[in-house]
Amino acid sequence: MKMTNKTSSYQKIKTRLFWVIVILVLWEIVAQSGIFPAAIFPSLLVIARALENSIVSGEILLQTAFSLALILQGFLISLLAAILVSSLAAGNKMFNGLVDTLAAIAHPLPGIALLPLIIVWFGTGTTSILVIIVHSVIWPMILNIMTGFKAISPIYKEAGLNFGLNRFQIIKDILIPASLPYVLSGIRIGWARAWRALISAEMIFGAVGLKGGLGWYIFKQRVFMDTPGMFAGIFVIVLIGIIVEDYVFAAFEERTVKKWGMI
Amino acid sequence: MGNDLKQQEENLIDRTVIICLKSVSKYYRRSQETLRVLDHIDLDIYQGEILALLGPSGCGKTTLLRQIAGFDHRESGSLLMDGHEVVQPEVKRIMIFQDFNQLFPWKTVIQNVVYPLQVNRVGESDTANREIALEYLKLVELTGFEDSYPHQLSGGMKQKAAMARALALKPKVLLMDEPFGSLDALTRIALQNLLLKVWQETGVTIIFVTHDIQEAVILSDRIAVMGRETAGIKKVIPNLLDRPRVVGEAGYSEIYGHVYSLMDINPTK
Repeated sequence: MKMTNKTSSYQKIKTRLFWVIVILVLWEIVAQSGIFPAAIFPSLLVIARALENSIVSGEILLQTAFSLALILQGFLISLLAAILVSSLAAGNKMFNGLVDTLAAIAHPLPGIALLPLIIVWFGTGTTSILVIIVHSVIWPMILNIMTGFKAISPIYKEAGLNFGLNRFQIIKDILIPASLPYVLSGIRIGWARAWRALISAEMIFGAVGLKGGLGWYIFKQRVFMDTPGMFAGIFVIVLIGIIVEDYVFAAFEERTVKKWGMI
Repeated sequence: MGNDLKQQEENLIDRTVIICLKSVSKYYRRSQETLRVLDHIDLDIYQGEILALLGPSGCGKTTLLRQIAGFDHRESGSLLMDGHEVVQPEVKRIMIFQDFNQLFPWKTVIQNVVYPLQVNRVGESDTANREIALEYLKLVELTGFEDSYPHQLSGGMKQKAAMARALALKPKVLLMDEPFGSLDALTRIALQNLLLKVWQETGVTIIFVTHDIQEAVILSDRIAVMGRETAGIKKVIPNLLDRPRVVGEAGYSEIYGHVYSLMDINPTK
């Protein structure tokens, strides 16, 4: 079984690589053909050079580090808060109703819609960006975790009660691991949402001092009509997305729910 | 024969009562009607015996077992264990379910056995708990599978692991809800024999829910026959065949026939 898993993930990487190359080749053909002006559709080489320059100057690294630090903070706060809130909701019907209502109100509300209000309340600093990230991440996470708690086979809980577990132990040692597949999909959705919220907020808020994050970096290149620079920024975002998905989430899944035969 | 049975019943009465049910009732209310699942049940369970709760599906045998476990609320009656009212599940009465998925899938076999020991501080250290777990895994013949995850085990092995996890806590009573009901016939016989071996070694009291007359006759000291119409126990039949018991041996068919006649299998007659 391990063999087939390894072979299939190897197959997946091969297919991925194949299509990435096809897309890059097509891109280069279009760029070289001159259908579009080089200023709006730059060739790969030019984009690579722009990326290289901004790496050498250290700017893109600085902005990436800034963005990553923010997203990680916002993400961790949301994850912990979502687990706490869902656990409390699992133990109390009144509170469950409140959380359910709040999620119904807040979940469909895009973080960007709240931006003006957040600026009024928190200013245009990193706090505001964090607030938007947490808002974007926490609701889908709570909804997923609560669904996961509800989907747990009652046998696990009954076995736990039979073994004399207290409420805290039931949540920590049974509800959370048993709903981990749901928690994980909540984390995935939350991560994607967090990136969107972060990049949009950074574009609107601009730089505080030198730092404005990747969103600001991309936005800033527009002012100079530096299209290759914009693509360099987009490339970094895509790269981080792929690394997090394939090497963080997938690896975590491999070591937990897949190993346990839960998905 | 009739006198023999009388004598046997009297022998049983001498034994210590570990669980005592008096007039236990459980109703389910559905809009207009009230469904009496258990209607004033009286039953004594003796220390060290295997009691089979036998009946067709829907007769309330699982409901009765869950009452004894302490999982469900009851309408009326008293259910005493060692003189104390049963109000919630406790470690001294451990339930084993029919569902193969009662082990925690995120723990290995040995972690599944060790975890309840840690929670209840059975051993003085993690090493001690691990040794207890290994001992019970050996008892259920699962040595070598300590580090497997439940999804890597067959159904029979999962039920064995569940038995080890329950027994390691040294419960006074094991409550088994058709634990072998989903196994193939050969595995079922192997696990019945294993259960008898474990019972003889540990002396644990077992209440065993089943709808299989043969299983009840092979395993139990007494068979409580439950009916769908009566919402209770029709009759408790003592079963004192010599062990080890073999299907078809002397006395087997008499008990089988006696139980069969109580089961309403031909209700039109």
